[in-house]
Amino acid sequence: MTAGTTTARTPFVHRVKDALTGDVTTPFVFLGNFEVEDEWAHGEIGLPSVRGAGASSAVVNRMDEFALLLAGKDDHVVLKSAPDPGYLAYLDSLGLDLPQVLVTDVDDPLRTVTRDALDSPHLQSRLRELAAGGARLLAHGTSTAEEELCAVTGLASALPGAATTKAVNSKIYSRELCSELGIRQARGWVCRTVDDFTRAVAEASRAVAAGRTVGVKDAYGVSGKGILVVDDERRLDQLLRMVVRRAERSGDERLSVVVEEWAEKATDLNYHFTVALDGTVTFDFVKEALTRRGVHQGHRIPSRLPRERVDELGELSARLGARLHQDGFHGIVGVDAIVLTDGSLLPVLEINARNNMSTYQVRLQEQFLPDDGVALARQYDLTLDAPVSFDALEERLGDLLYTTDRGRGLLVDNTATVNAAASTRTAGTPFSGRLYGLLVATSDDELSHLDDSVAARLTEGTARD
Amino acid sequence: MTTTAATSREPIVLAIVEALSGVLGRPLADVTEETRLFEDLNLDSTSVLGLLMALEDSLGMEVDPEALEQHHLESVGALTDFVVEHSTQR
Repeated sequence: MTAGTTTARTPFVHRVKDALTGDVTTPFVFLGNFEVEDEWAHGEIGLPSVRGAGASSAVVNRMDEFALLLAGKDDHVVLKSAPDPGYLAYLDSLGLDLPQVLVTDVDDPLRTVTRDALDSPHLQSRLRELAAGGARLLAHGTSTAEEELCAVTGLASALPGAATTKAVNSKIYSRELCSELGIRQARGWVCRTVDDFTRAVAEASRAVAAGRTVGVKDAYGVSGKGILVVDDERRLDQLLRMVVRRAERSGDERLSVVVEEWAEKATDLNYHFTVALDGTVTFDFVKEALTRRGVHQGHRIPSRLPRERVDELGELSARLGARLHQDGFHGIVGVDAIVLTDGSLLPVLEINARNNMSTYQVRLQEQFLPDDGVALARQYDLTLDAPVSFDALEERLGDLLYTTDRGRGLLVDNTATVNAAASTRTAGTPFSGRLYGLLVATSDDELSHLDDSVAARLTEGTARD
Repeated sequence: MTTTAATSREPIVLAIVEALSGVLGRPLADVTEETRLFEDLNLDSTSVLGLLMALEDSLGMEVDPEALEQHHLESVGALTDFVVEHSTQR
């Protein structure tokens, strides 16, 4: 393959390299700094919150391991700790070209991989060598922490700077962009000050009184988090009082939230496109969230949307991408959308101008999902008494584990998240872990059966529910 | 801890369990002061705000979320300690 040329069958990561650097052979250093929203949220005032509430950061920080699946053999991946050798052997047995793994000098479970990397002189010296060889950094998303890592190592980022990236990732930006481009969205209000919020609550209270539900969202909340869903006027008043009290105490009138009427959704969608340096926009895919008995199961690949709807999202991606490029952004973008119960589309719930979970599954789809196959990106929550090795998981899963010979089963795509919380628990107590994987099957029935079987197998013995 | 303080905890624990049940949208059985909010009940950070609002309602108090530290949310007992302390200060 020559530099600068790609085709429809070009592997995703090559297309990304071409789009972001103009050369498919540019070596990348991947950094899986998940929940970069927390960095973007610094200095922003959102919903009242309790510092550090939530026990999941150790698990989230180990989602860095997903980067292994995006990178190719000429790339490097920075991880908080070396992957389980059994897991690497498994990925190798699938025929995946694995990248070189670089490990941070320190691993603080409560810090992101970037924060650990900033505290790692040995790693930084290796990154300086790679920078000298022309490598570029591809972070999950860019905040000032990744900029700092670039500054101390001389690595150039393949993405725009933190200020631009942060600006286009605000939920306020998403709403205003939709208004500007005439894209249909839920009725809602952008709040940059406490006064804006007071007015929004007055309007939203009328909607709630009329029987509707509203959501109050942090502008920089992680997708699906930082949202307060309200169907009671008293709660809105109470929230307003909390916000006003806080502003009176701090003397700071700023706020970064959006208030939106809650739409009656039938299906969640996630679509994905890439904005090249020169502004060219490539629509990558759309995935459909699957629910069974009202419970979110994961993303189904491919989505079952009619062709014309996929085309509609492709055209919309071109418009959104062009506008993002005007605002200085290039890179990977995922957009959350919903199909309403009446069958119509709300095409932009939020724009995530960073890697999405779905980004990390692309290579697995390309390599292992046959044209007539179906897959489900799944997360199994585990409660464990002790860390579990990949070999033990493999034994537990038995014939449910995906292998190229079987061509079906659970293709495990992260094991670091299984044991991540072991070191932060109170001694002698169980801890929560997550096993991520892509279920690969030939039909929806088989997918459903596999899912049940894997869940049952995981709760026997080593893993408890 | 004095006897008075110990007895005054009971209604607070009950209010916390009721508020948790409301926020989580399910009845809660076998909850004790040792029950951990995040690990045992799977409370998430977003639900905390709803929990505090429900407690403001049922206990007739004002809670400033920023006054809470993560350790106050470790268990039902720890949150009870916070409420007791907060009520005493007011």
